[in-house]
Amino acid sequence: MPQVPILVMEGITKEFPGVRALDQVDFQLCQGEVHALLGENGAGKSTMVKILSGSLNKDSGRVLLRGKEVEIGSPSRARSLGIGMVYQELSLVSSLSIAENIFLGRWPRHRSGSIDWKRLYEMARAELEKLGLDIDPRIKVGLLSVAEQQLVEIAKVVSQNVYILLLDEPTSALSDRERERLFGLIRSLKRDGMSIIYISHRLAEVLEIADRITILRDGRKVGTVSVDEAPEDRLVTMMVGRSLSEQFPKTAAAVGQPVLQVENLSVSGVLHDLSFEVGRGEIVGIFGLMGSGRTTLARTLFGLERAKSGKVYVDGARARIGSPMDAIRLGIGYLTEDRRQGLVPCMPIPPNVTLSSLRDFSRFSFLKRKLEEEMAERFVKDLRIRTPSLKQKVARLSGGNQQKVVLSKWMCRKSRVIIFDEPTRGIDVAAKAEVFQLMSRLAQQGIGVLMISSELPELLGMCDRILVIRGGRFVAEFQASDVTQEQLLKTASGIGG
Amino acid sequence: MKEARSRSFATGLTSSDDAGPDGKGTIRYATRSTLGASLLRGGPIIALLLLSTYLSFASPYFLTTNNLVNVARQVSINVILAVGQTMVIISGGIDLSVGALLALSASFGAVAMTYWGLNMWVGIFLALLVGTMAGLINGVVITKGKIPDFIATLGMLSTARGIALIVTGGLPVPSHLTATTLKAYLPEGLIWIGSGDILGIPVAALVALGIAVTGWAITTRTVLGRSAYAIGGNREAARVSGINIEATKICIYAIMGLMAAVAGLVLTGRLNSANALMAEGAELQSIAAVVIGGTNLFGGEGTIVGTVIGAVIMGILANGLNLLNVSAFWQRVVMGIVIISVVVFDQWRRRAFESY
Repeated sequence: MPQVPILVMEGITKEFPGVRALDQVDFQLCQGEVHALLGENGAGKSTMVKILSGSLNKDSGRVLLRGKEVEIGSPSRARSLGIGMVYQELSLVSSLSIAENIFLGRWPRHRSGSIDWKRLYEMARAELEKLGLDIDPRIKVGLLSVAEQQLVEIAKVVSQNVYILLLDEPTSALSDRERERLFGLIRSLKRDGMSIIYISHRLAEVLEIADRITILRDGRKVGTVSVDEAPEDRLVTMMVGRSLSEQFPKTAAAVGQPVLQVENLSVSGVLHDLSFEVGRGEIVGIFGLMGSGRTTLARTLFGLERAKSGKVYVDGARARIGSPMDAIRLGIGYLTEDRRQGLVPCMPIPPNVTLSSLRDFSRFSFLKRKLEEEMAERFVKDLRIRTPSLKQKVARLSGGNQQKVVLSKWMCRKSRVIIFDEPTRGIDVAAKAEVFQLMSRLAQQGIGVLMISSELPELLGMCDRILVIRGGRFVAEFQASDVTQEQLLKTASGIGG
Repeated sequence: MKEARSRSFATGLTSSDDAGPDGKGTIRYATRSTLGASLLRGGPIIALLLLSTYLSFASPYFLTTNNLVNVARQVSINVILAVGQTMVIISGGIDLSVGALLALSASFGAVAMTYWGLNMWVGIFLALLVGTMAGLINGVVITKGKIPDFIATLGMLSTARGIALIVTGGLPVPSHLTATTLKAYLPEGLIWIGSGDILGIPVAALVALGIAVTGWAITTRTVLGRSAYAIGGNREAARVSGINIEATKICIYAIMGLMAAVAGLVLTGRLNSANALMAEGAELQSIAAVVIGGTNLFGGEGTIVGTVIGAVIMGILANGLNLLNVSAFWQRVVMGIVIISVVVFDQWRRRAFESY
C-alpha cells in the first residue's frame, strides 16, 4: 500500500462566473497509487485535473509536489514538473505514424537536421514495450481503433518522463475487453511507481481499478475512502446524496398494441434479419458490445442509414423510412448516442425544443415565437431543466440538462416511439435518475421506448424485455426480471450463452 | 446557502426559477452574460459611433447632409448583397459569386431594356429571374452535387461573368456607341431607382432598407431562417431533427441570387449603364460587411442588423478616407487591414466572453 504523499493539494478554490467549481478542496496522491476522483458531472473533477495539468489556474490554494510548493500555470510547465494528462478527446495526428505521434515535435535528428527514422522507430518500440504493447510503431494512427489510439496516447504521455499520470474518463469509448487491457496497463504502470489520478463517474470501474477514492460533489470534497472500506451504495450516497434504489424509478406500465414492428431488417454487412416489436408503454432494451450493430439498428430505423431489406410497421401501418424526415413524420424520435447530434449548441432552449415541430409552431412559414417560448417554458418546468433563463444557449447547459432538452424536442413532436441510444453517457447520477424517471413516465403515457445501452444495471433496472445483439443478429431475448448481468454479458460476447 | 444548494441537487426539486447552483450565483451569472452579450452584440455599433465621432471632428464635410446622403447611396449596394450573404453564411455556406450574379442579371436587364426594346418592368422581371435562377443553380449544385459551397460559387463566379460578357458583347449597355446609333437608353424609372430620391432620401437607400427589413424578417421570423441557423449551427443535429437541409440551402442561395439582381438593377440605375465586369470584388465587400457585423463565419450565429452596421462602417470608412485625401491605392490597404483587425478583435471577444 502506498504511503508517501507525492502530491498535495490544499484548499484549492476555483470560481467561474456564477459557479464556484472548486471550494477549498484538499487532495493527496501517494507514490504508486491509483487515486480515483469520483463525482457527477459538474462536481469539479475535471476542473481539478485541469488545474494540475496547467490548462486552468487556481484562484487560491497551494499545490505541493514532493513537499515543495509549485505554480503550474501552463501545460508545458506541468509536463516539465512530471505531470502528464491523457485527455478524453485524444490529441493524436491521424495521418502520422505511431512513432511520429509518440515523439511529436521531439523527433530524433541526424546532424543534417533530417529525421533519424531508424532511431525514432527504435525509441518508439522501446516505449511501447515498456507498456507491454506489441504494435508496429510505423502504422498510421488513423488505422488504429479508438482503444489502440488511447494506448498510443498514454505511451506518448509516459514517454515524457512523467511520474504523475492524469486519466480523464478513459473508458468512455471502450468495450469491456479493451477496458480490461487498459486496466492491465494501468496496473503495470502502478507497479513501476507511477502515481495515477483516475477520473470517472462510473462507480463499478473505479471500485475495480482504484486504491483510494476521493468523492467530489458540487465542487466540495465529500471524503476520501479506501476501496476496501466503501460499499457501493454508500459511495453513491456520497456522490449524489441519494441511495441506489432511487436510481431506477421504473413504474409498471400496461403494455398495449405494438407501436413499432420490425420484420427481417437487414443492412448490408452489418445487420442480418432482425425482427422484433415494441408495444405501447413498453421499454425494450437492446444490449450489445461495441460493433455489434446496436447503433446501426437505431440509425436505420430513423432513416439515417439505408436498409437492404425488411419491413417496418408503425402503429400497424407499413412505414417507408428513407430519411429522418420520414421517421419523424411517422412519430419516431431518436436520442443519439452523441448528445451533440441532437442539439444546435449556439441556439437557446426554445428553438432547440421546437426544432422538429416547426410546422406546428408556424403559420404560412412564419414562426409563432410566443408559443415556442411557452412550450419551452413548460418543458423547462416539467422536466426540471436547470438553466438561468430560457435564453441560455444549450451549449452552456450541463450534459444531463442537454439530454432533457433533446428529450423535450421529441416530446414536443409527440413522438410515439422514442429510441434512446446510450441515454446516460457522460451525464451524472442525479441527472441519470431523472432521465430514467422521464423514460418511465413516457412509457406510462403509452409511448414505446427502445433503449440501447451498454450499461447493464440500467437496462435491467428500466426494461421490460432485453434483446441481445451480436454480430448484427439477435442471439437471445430475456424478460428483464429473470436475467442477470453475467448472463447478458456472456450472451453478448458469445461465451457459453 | 450551501445546505440549500446541496439539498436542491439531491432531491432534484429545483424549479426553473432558482435554476443556478445557488441564488447569488444565478444573479451574477445573468449579469455577466447579458453584459457580455450586449458587448458582443454592441461591438459593431460602438465601432461605428467611434468612427463617426472621429470623422466629424477630422473633416468639416463629414457631417453635411450632402455627404451623408452620398454615403447612404454608396452603401446601398453592399447592404443589399450583404443581407443575402448573411443568410448564406448563417446557414454555414459562402457565396463568392454575388458580384458576378449582380453583373449577369444587370446585363440581362439592361440588354432587354435597350437592344431588345422591352418594357422596363419586363426588363426588371427578367433581371430578377436571371439572378434567382443562377442562385438556385448554385444551391442545386452544392446540395445535389455534394460539393463545397466555396467551389460551386467560385465556378459560378467565372461562368456568370462569362455569360454576361457574351450577352453584352463586352461593351457597356448602353454605351455611347449604341446609345447614339440605336437611340437605346435605359428607362428613366431605372435611373431614378439608382440616382433619384424621395424627400431627400436616396431611392437606393430605401430599397436597401426594404431588403434589410425583409432579410431581418426571414432570419428571425420564419421557418426558413430558423432552419438556416440550425444547419449552420449543427448540420448533423438539423438532419436528425428532420430539417430539410437541401431545400433550405437551395432556397437561401436563390434568395441570394434575387438580392444580387436587385443590387444589379440599383447599380445600373446609378451608373446609367450595365456591363459584364461591374461590381468586381463585391463578393469580398459583402463578406467583409457580414463579418464586421459580428456574424460567425462558420455559421449558426449572426444578425441582419449587425450586417447593416458592418456595411455602413465600411462605407463611412471609405468616405472618411476620401475626405481625408487618402489615395485610392492606400484606401485598399487600409480596408484590408481594418477587415483583418475586426475579425481578430471579434475572435478575441468571443473567446473572452464565451469560454468558461
